[in-house]
Amino acid sequence: MDPFSAEGELLNIHNHFHQGQYAEVIDFDTSGLSPENKLPARILQLRAQIALGQTDKVIASVNGQDEPELVAVGALAELVTGNEAKALEVAEKLAGERADNGAIQVLAGTILQAAGKSEEALALLNQHQGNLEAVALIVQIHLEQNRLDLALKEVQAAKSWAQDSLLVNLAESWAGLRVGGEKYQQAFYVFEELAQAPSTSSTQSLVSQAVAEIHLGRLEEAEAAIQQALTKYPAHPECLANNIVLNVIAGKDVSEMISAFSSTAPDHPFLRDLQEKSAFFDQAAAKYSPKVSA
Amino acid sequence: MASTSSPNMLTKFESKSSRAKGIAFHPKRPWILVSLHSSTIQLWDYRMGTLIDRFEEHDGPVRGVDFHKTQPLFVSGGDDYKIKVWSYQTRRCLFTLNGHLDYLRTVFFHHELPWIISSSDDQTIRIWNWQNRSLICTMTGHNHYTMCAQFHPKEDLVVSASLDQSVRVWDISGLRKKHSAPTSMTFEDQMSRGNQNQADVFGNTDAVVKFVLEGHDRGVNWVAFHPTLPLIVSAGDDRLVKLWRMSDTKAWEVDTCRGHFQNASGCLFHPHQDLILSCGEDKTIRVWDLNKRTSVQSFKRENDRFWVIAAHPEINLFAAGHDNGVMVFKLERERPASAFYQNNLFFITKKDKHVRSYDFQKNVESPVLLTLKNLGSPWVPPRSLSYNPAERAILVTSPADGGSYELIYLPRDGSGSMGTTDTKRGLGNSAVFVARNRFAVFNVAAQQIDIKDLSNSTTKTIKPPTGTTDIYFGGTGNLLLITPTAVHLYDIQQKKSTAELAVNGVKYVVWSNDGLYVALLSKHNVTIATKTLEQVSTLHETIRIKSATWDDAGVLLYSTLNHIKYTLLNGDNGIVRTLDQTVYLVRVKARSVYCLDRNAKPQILNIDPTEYRFKLALVKRNYEEMLQIIKNSSLVGQSIISYLQKKGYPEIALQFVQDPTTRFELAIECGNLEVAVEMAKQLDKPKLWSRLTTEALAHGNHQIVEMTYQKLKQFDKLSFLYLATGDQAKLSRMAKIAEHRGDFTARFQNALYLGDVADKIQMFKEIDLYPLAYITAKSNGLTEECESILEVTGLTEEQITLPDIVSPLSPPKPIVQTFQANWPTKATSQSFFEKALLGQVEGLSLEDEPAAASNGFGFDEAVEGDGVKGSGNLIEDDEEDAAGWDMGDDIVPEVESDFVNVDSAEAGAGSSEADLWARNSPIAADHVAGGSFETAMQLLNRQLGAVNFAPLKPRFLEIYQATRTFIPASASLPPLTNYVRRTVDETDPRKILPIIPRDIESLATGDLQKGYDAMRANKLEDGARIFKGILHALLVNAVSVASEVDEAKKLITSACEYSLAMAIELSRRNLGTPEEVAASPEKLKRSLELSAYFTIPKLEVSHRQLALASAMRAAFMNKNYNSALGFANRMLANGGNAKILENARKTKAQCERNPNDTHEIEFDQFADFEICAASHTPIYSGSQFEVCAFDGSRYQPKYKGTVCTVCEVCEVGKNGSGLKLVA
Repeated sequence: MDPFSAEGELLNIHNHFHQGQYAEVIDFDTSGLSPENKLPARILQLRAQIALGQTDKVIASVNGQDEPELVAVGALAELVTGNEAKALEVAEKLAGERADNGAIQVLAGTILQAAGKSEEALALLNQHQGNLEAVALIVQIHLEQNRLDLALKEVQAAKSWAQDSLLVNLAESWAGLRVGGEKYQQAFYVFEELAQAPSTSSTQSLVSQAVAEIHLGRLEEAEAAIQQALTKYPAHPECLANNIVLNVIAGKDVSEMISAFSSTAPDHPFLRDLQEKSAFFDQAAAKYSPKVSA
Repeated sequence: MASTSSPNMLTKFESKSSRAKGIAFHPKRPWILVSLHSSTIQLWDYRMGTLIDRFEEHDGPVRGVDFHKTQPLFVSGGDDYKIKVWSYQTRRCLFTLNGHLDYLRTVFFHHELPWIISSSDDQTIRIWNWQNRSLICTMTGHNHYTMCAQFHPKEDLVVSASLDQSVRVWDISGLRKKHSAPTSMTFEDQMSRGNQNQADVFGNTDAVVKFVLEGHDRGVNWVAFHPTLPLIVSAGDDRLVKLWRMSDTKAWEVDTCRGHFQNASGCLFHPHQDLILSCGEDKTIRVWDLNKRTSVQSFKRENDRFWVIAAHPEINLFAAGHDNGVMVFKLERERPASAFYQNNLFFITKKDKHVRSYDFQKNVESPVLLTLKNLGSPWVPPRSLSYNPAERAILVTSPADGGSYELIYLPRDGSGSMGTTDTKRGLGNSAVFVARNRFAVFNVAAQQIDIKDLSNSTTKTIKPPTGTTDIYFGGTGNLLLITPTAVHLYDIQQKKSTAELAVNGVKYVVWSNDGLYVALLSKHNVTIATKTLEQVSTLHETIRIKSATWDDAGVLLYSTLNHIKYTLLNGDNGIVRTLDQTVYLVRVKARSVYCLDRNAKPQILNIDPTEYRFKLALVKRNYEEMLQIIKNSSLVGQSIISYLQKKGYPEIALQFVQDPTTRFELAIECGNLEVAVEMAKQLDKPKLWSRLTTEALAHGNHQIVEMTYQKLKQFDKLSFLYLATGDQAKLSRMAKIAEHRGDFTARFQNALYLGDVADKIQMFKEIDLYPLAYITAKSNGLTEECESILEVTGLTEEQITLPDIVSPLSPPKPIVQTFQANWPTKATSQSFFEKALLGQVEGLSLEDEPAAASNGFGFDEAVEGDGVKGSGNLIEDDEEDAAGWDMGDDIVPEVESDFVNVDSAEAGAGSSEADLWARNSPIAADHVAGGSFETAMQLLNRQLGAVNFAPLKPRFLEIYQATRTFIPASASLPPLTNYVRRTVDETDPRKILPIIPRDIESLATGDLQKGYDAMRANKLEDGARIFKGILHALLVNAVSVASEVDEAKKLITSACEYSLAMAIELSRRNLGTPEEVAASPEKLKRSLELSAYFTIPKLEVSHRQLALASAMRAAFMNKNYNSALGFANRMLANGGNAKILENARKTKAQCERNPNDTHEIEFDQFADFEICAASHTPIYSGSQFEVCAFDGSRYQPKYKGTVCTVCEVCEVGKNGSGLKLVA
């Protein structure tokens, strides 16, 4: 039986992880779990630590372990620390050797994707057998590649056997935000449901809700959700990025926000993209000049 | 249809008494008259359940009773053969009608004429006029007891039932004619009437038998007309209820309702529905379908035989009399099933079971969305409705068949589709949506909750706490489980109860709009709890609570049977308004309460929310709002004052009160001595003064204390006060006063306080207390005085035995001159609120402040007053509006060709949505949003000749930033980018377009106004920047409809004119200081020219006046009287602010004396010209010029090829295809 299914004992920790409630994952009491579930639970906890930036602890904790899952977690931690080459080496090795392991698929897939090897990541992940996490990752990679059609196909396929699981709902909502129209509203409902219920609410789901609302053109509501998220976690990078977007749409001055943001998360794609575009602008603008300079 | 016996009858009221034989509902008030076998007539308030009155004058059983429709009267008929007419106001029997010779069975008033009809065991039916108290007709024909006789509600007919087994219908039109016009009865009339109607045996034509209905096999006990149809229903000892129909000429039996197994004693038609109700000695009340004559419902009572049944004429209420009293009941629940979401109310209509919606914003009711005819049994209305906005589905529950639910999707477009195509159903007592794709179904009997998905399959089963009676939505993922003694908050995911609140008998649950609070309604209590079920407050009502809804501000409004009331979270409550009829509140918005009445008709009631808003503001200490309320509404009243006082806000209450006594009390309470003194002076009562004294003393405010002592003439206290404060001067004056008054005690006291020995001795001497005087003198060593005393008394020193003399006491001298000032009293605390009321807080004034009137143009009069203008409306159409813009929006094809440059990669990655935008649109802004800056620049270059892009960089990046959001997806991977669209509803990838921030509307309402403000405030640098920003925002923008393009062009023209004007004025100011300018003739000339040119751009009139006034002043000061005259004339022609015009008139008058210019400048006020935006020199009409293709600013030919100074982007003189804003 799938330990993450509705009746499984890992359901809650698994949901916490994917709802972005990393603290709850780390605090999850694993002592009562049956032996075969202890390792998956530990992996989730380690990944939660990585997500919270505690990579050093994770590397220390898996150092010298030889279970392939833990090695993969270690590699992920290395990746997040910045040692992309090292992580990639481990991931490629594991992808070759232990491609049938669900956890390896997800962890190595994440590393491969992060390193820009999307095709390899997809090839690895497509070997999954009923692993919803792999499905969510595949959907994300497809979306990253702007292959909405493939992403939707993946979601549809997953819905046929895992209707209504959290990850399928999330993946469907990610894809829905690319489709638009009514799907915006549906995505909004999914995120709102997570964000507003006290037991599932997290910064991540609040930010997602706000994003859906931005797309729906409901700026005031989006603002409220962002503020709610900021009170929970004032330095959440996506939250700050979307807050800037929201303020730009509302026609407000954001230069202060951007400078504050670049001090907290200088590597955020938003900022990198902005710099790139700014340089691009100057380059493009240089091609033009008036006939007579004043 | 099978007969269903409903175990729980909706009994509203029950009384205990001896056998009830007659019942009558009051048509308006919640009253019921019950006549008893014991000779008493009772008047009950069935709503409150109280006995209002008893009328006991009949001798023996009273069987018939009826209320008058309009007058405060009722009639009764008893076994004492008497008909009595009573006034329930004076509680007396007004008179008695005698004539019947046996028991009275029924008595009824006529619906409009002053008649009473009575039926009696003497076999007659009689009609009486109760105004002149006479018998006007006796109807004979029955040959056994007449058990019942009633008027037809509209026509001149009477129906009667008798133990002779017949029912008779009588025509009484003759009687009406005779009595409505007794004098005009001509012989012909009588003849014709005689011919027309068959006179009875006695030649009586007043009332003639029209039909005799035979069909009952035993005596008939009751008979009644249908209120609208030509139908009659009768009930008899043959245990049958018969339905009869009549036409003008005949009447016949339609059908029989069989079911009673004992004598049927009463029957009637349902006033509004196609139902018959009957009751009998078999202890049942039965409900029959009028059209099918089948049994719909029956209610059985254990021990009591039913004798009579009556219906309320208006509302859905019935009453039945039985062996042990009377019961008032309903056939069905009247609460319409409804649910609301955002601005829509969904509800089910009463009669047809249609699902409709009502839009609060537009105040319109939708057409029928669905019909639920097939749901449950036709006579059982649905119980509840739950709405799922995500799926646009509803869940309806019905109590029929032991409880069932149906899940139905509403039609998408709102109307049309009537059939319930896709429904899922099942058994259960309550069903509510708990999440987007889940609902919970509760089964009472099985004590089980099933969580189902939308395909109606159970995903989870929950065992609720024992005794659960109902479930409600409990916030996302939660349920509220109701048990008779508590409410549980149940987390569906964790499958456990997370909170519990002990509240008895909760019936309904109402969530606040923000989902933070929940109101639990039980029959007589409202309990407010947080979303985690912590009790916030609770209140009790003596009368039933019907419904509740939350105000957006967090005030709960609830309805009882006859009031709408409010309660704040802290439990403060009060009445908002009274209700004529019961309503179910749905929503509150501003001054409107939306509700459904019992017929499920949406209604809007107006309320005055002032009181609760005020209290809410008070609780939240939102003084600004309070102030607003006080200023805008008449919120003065004893109740609000005592409320404030009670709540500990005497200082606020003080602001409302006029009455000096109350003001005094409040002032004392809040320690505001100033007001207290003022009021005490007004009232001047000793009691108030002494209270003030105590208070002032406590404050240490001895100056007020002094004053009050003076007022009260409390000299001793006053003296002591002076002593305490060290005021020697006043103390000695007190001594004088005491002397005047001849009050020796006081005088002595003062002397003591002062240490004034001489005065003491003097006083002792005056009152002949020489020994004391002597010893005082002695002890103070005043030997002379001693001697003189001895002399007076004729004694010598030796004759006196003196006690040991100690050194005399003298009062201590004050060290601090306390009396000079009060003790450092705490400044009377003035709340923010009071200050605001006194107008001390700046920026809180309620009047709109006149716009900041700075006058940098160097004259006082000009600026003020025009602040009011120019809010909101754009510049009026100029005749030359957008002259430079006619070059057309038509040269598109060349643009189309060059944006197919995006390569479509076949393999892994596809093209992003951003790429699509550039493909989908010929608008530069959309290319910018797509990140394709290069093509965007190309477009702008071709359309407008844009060459200098640097100033547009912020705008480019702004648009680019606005179009990408970041959603956190899988952990440890970068977020997913999504693309924000302005075409929110579009999913076709060929039509989607990006959002463009700062659209035309926001520019016109926001930035433009800011620009105007800068102009008014003379902040020209700011203004120039703002208008430049508007131009840049417009340069890269998009609109959705063509009509907005014109608006955009107007905006561009306007921004251009202002930019130019400000640039001119700024360049004048940059010439140098006034001294420098005055010193150099060249600069002076240029300065005068520029100030003249400043008046040329087409500004708003009020702003042009500023420019003109400035120019006029400059010209006048420099003795260019002719120019000044010209400006003055233009100002006068423009009209507007009176002060400016006055100034212009004065200048004009002065200039006309000497209309000459001292300095020659290049400005011909009569010529038609424009200003070159680069050189700020005139371009006369007819001469050559170049324009900027974007903003239309004009240039001298020599500037061709330079960058436009106004927009700073486009090349002057370079033509393009024109600005493109719409796809």
